[in-house]
Amino acid sequence: MLVKAATKAGKKKNLLTPMTFSLLHATDFADRLTYKIVPPLKAGMIVLADRYAYTAFARDVARGVDREWVRDLYEFAVRPDLALYFRVPIEVSIERLMARRVKLKFYEAGMDMGWSADPVESFRLFQRRVLAEYETLVGEFGLQVVDAVGSISDQQRTVRALVAGQLEASRGD
Amino acid sequence: MATDADAPTPGGPEPGTYYGRGLPYLSIENCPGKIIAIEGTDGIGRSTQIRLLREWLEVKGYGVVETGWTRSILMRPTIDLAKASNTLNKLTFVLLYATDFADRLEKEIIPAVKAGFIVLADRYIFTAIARARVRGVDRGWLRNLYGFAIAPHLVFYLKIDVDTLARRVLESRGMDFWESGMDLKLGDDIYDSFRTYQTKLLREYAALATEFNFRVVDARLPVDRIQENLRAQIGTFLDAEAAAPASMR
Repeated sequence: MLVKAATKAGKKKNLLTPMTFSLLHATDFADRLTYKIVPPLKAGMIVLADRYAYTAFARDVARGVDREWVRDLYEFAVRPDLALYFRVPIEVSIERLMARRVKLKFYEAGMDMGWSADPVESFRLFQRRVLAEYETLVGEFGLQVVDAVGSISDQQRTVRALVAGQLEASRGD
Repeated sequence: MATDADAPTPGGPEPGTYYGRGLPYLSIENCPGKIIAIEGTDGIGRSTQIRLLREWLEVKGYGVVETGWTRSILMRPTIDLAKASNTLNKLTFVLLYATDFADRLEKEIIPAVKAGFIVLADRYIFTAIARARVRGVDRGWLRNLYGFAIAPHLVFYLKIDVDTLARRVLESRGMDFWESGMDLKLGDDIYDSFRTYQTKLLREYAALATEFNFRVVDARLPVDRIQENLRAQIGTFLDAEAAAPASMR
């Protein structure tokens, strides 16, 4: 995809500022919304989105972008019928990342903020802010919290119950 | 034109401050530099005027930096590709342009005004806003989107009528797809589409001229007359600034 090319190039060269990072992701989202989200919705299908505008609200604000500005930016997005937030304490997410044994990516670890030269420490500092933002989003947008510390099957049971409930409720409309 | 509930009172924010919520992580207080923007549709001689202004300002001893639409290192290739492939919708285009502007704002414009340069902007945010409005993008949303932009110290609008513009464009390089608004599918005839599209665009510029205090310059005048006019206004402004530096006020 077009936008992906610019994002990739920008990330590779560490060219992005918090604002251009935010805008590029919004551009990519607008593109996905037009082609991948709205058409199936119109056809009455269920769209499963692996991260949505809320990711931007948390991540961009953690980078210092204005909280209200980024919410207004995504005004064109369709409000999801159900939004799930997989909550995990920061130490657990670091443990899981370390277990994967993959190198932390520059932006993923918030290295662009220059808070620490150590990727893991940078990730910890950055992610702490991201998680704090998510907590405000839970109340503000009614995100359904799933305890992501538990086993996959436990999580899946919770998710299925929430989705089933939502589908039941929509059928009633 | 419908009344615009989001229209600000003329005057808007102080020049040199953010239009809206700005970049919270980037303070621009008391920057000594100035931003001078030249706006207007394609084919009215913006780049010629900017080149002449630059020469004049440099002779006067000012440091000058130029910035132009879609010239960012980050976005230029993507925007060119998007234009060629015609796969993006209007919203995606608006956001690509905003990203380009943000990149140049943070990497070219802000560093330059911090260092006391005069930034000559070959189109600032207004052409993008006018084009987006013609394509039906929400006005309030656009204003918020560009809330991270800095209000220029001077905005000149090179104004032209559609008849003169059509002839000028045909005499030089001919009408192209985007300038003729062919993406709006106003008709198959490129000349008719150009006229309809540019008429709408000029109407949006006129509305923006009031909203954002443009200084209107008649673009039908000869190049040197336009240049004289620009230099006179910029000269007055710079003299007044030199007499009462921003930091003293």
